[in-house]
Amino acid sequence: MARYFDIDDIIMEDELISVVYQVGANGVGLLDPGAERNCVEQGAKVELPFWLAHELHMRQAVVVSAPPCFNQKTRKEIQADAAFVDLRSRCPYFYEFGCKVAPLIGDRTIGSFLLYAFTGRYKEVLSKAHSSAFITTSKYLTLLTKEETQLYEAARSSMTAFKKWRVGGPRFERASILRKRKPTD
Amino acid sequence: MYGRRASQLLKDFSANEPGQISAFDTENFDQVIKECDAHHLELQALMRKIQEEGLDIQTTRNADHYGAVIHHLALIRNKRCLMAYVYNRAEIIQSLRWKVGPVLPQEVQEKVSYSEEEYFKNHSAALESYMSEAELDLTVDMVPPKDPYIKVRVLDDIGDVFLSDQSPNLARHSIHFLRRTDAEQFISQGLMEELPS
Repeated sequence: MARYFDIDDIIMEDELISVVYQVGANGVGLLDPGAERNCVEQGAKVELPFWLAHELHMRQAVVVSAPPCFNQKTRKEIQADAAFVDLRSRCPYFYEFGCKVAPLIGDRTIGSFLLYAFTGRYKEVLSKAHSSAFITTSKYLTLLTKEETQLYEAARSSMTAFKKWRVGGPRFERASILRKRKPTD
Repeated sequence: MYGRRASQLLKDFSANEPGQISAFDTENFDQVIKECDAHHLELQALMRKIQEEGLDIQTTRNADHYGAVIHHLALIRNKRCLMAYVYNRAEIIQSLRWKVGPVLPQEVQEKVSYSEEEYFKNHSAALESYMSEAELDLTVDMVPPKDPYIKVRVLDDIGDVFLSDQSPNLARHSIHFLRRTDAEQFISQGLMEELPS
């Protein structure tokens, strides 16, 4: 409940995951595009957002299958060169989603796979954030998941703050909410 | 898909830079509430159907039951999205009291809804009554001071003002040596800038 208002958490739970219905459900034809009547049949294979799949799984109404971003192909790519795999296009919340999905599909290897991927990529994120200019990293940034982007931004802003502290200069600033003032002369 | 519009509301919100606020999306917000109402109706219809069939609503696990569960979950999800939208906006609006003072700037005022404006006013009043009781202005010295005085350049015609220790004429482009606590509000409102001393 602590993260009830957390926007990232909410958006992450919108990730689709494919499930197989163990029971039928009436009045929800919208969920199954192939349905002929306004219901989902038993045994239907449907893509559901995580928030729904998770709750239905707890009621033993659906069986969840592993999302494609944790398949063998991705694992091989991560093993080859973790830092330059495009994880964002596979799942923008790769790590958080992995943590939430793992107990549902009962795959014990996901945890260690996530850790392996993160340790492989962490170094690159940090060294890019601390050393290179923004222009040269913009291409690299499109590979990062949302969590890694936040890490990158945090590293950058701490670096900027450090440089500012070393140089000195004005410390008061106008509130960032206000528009940039146009010269009025 | 259920809950799609509600999460779109939050995606739009999070596309803003942190601490920035965009106009309150009344249209989508109301649409999501309508979706909630629709879910509620479907939910009731399914529950009625179970009861009409003479089944126990507590223990029945048929297709109607799971249909009702899905509508219930979708409703809860929509509610969470709406709550998060309002809550996160309120956080930003509250923080504005500390950054720009007791009056909302025009450009922000255009973007907030009526109840958000009321919230800002009430938060501001609560803070002010606390500060006058404690006889302490909590909104100054947000950056730890090195020197009680700073050099500032005035960016806009402010005119004659009474400050705590002097009453200078703050004409545009003039440079003054003011108490930090006096200058702070003007700087955060964009009327002055701090000069390296």
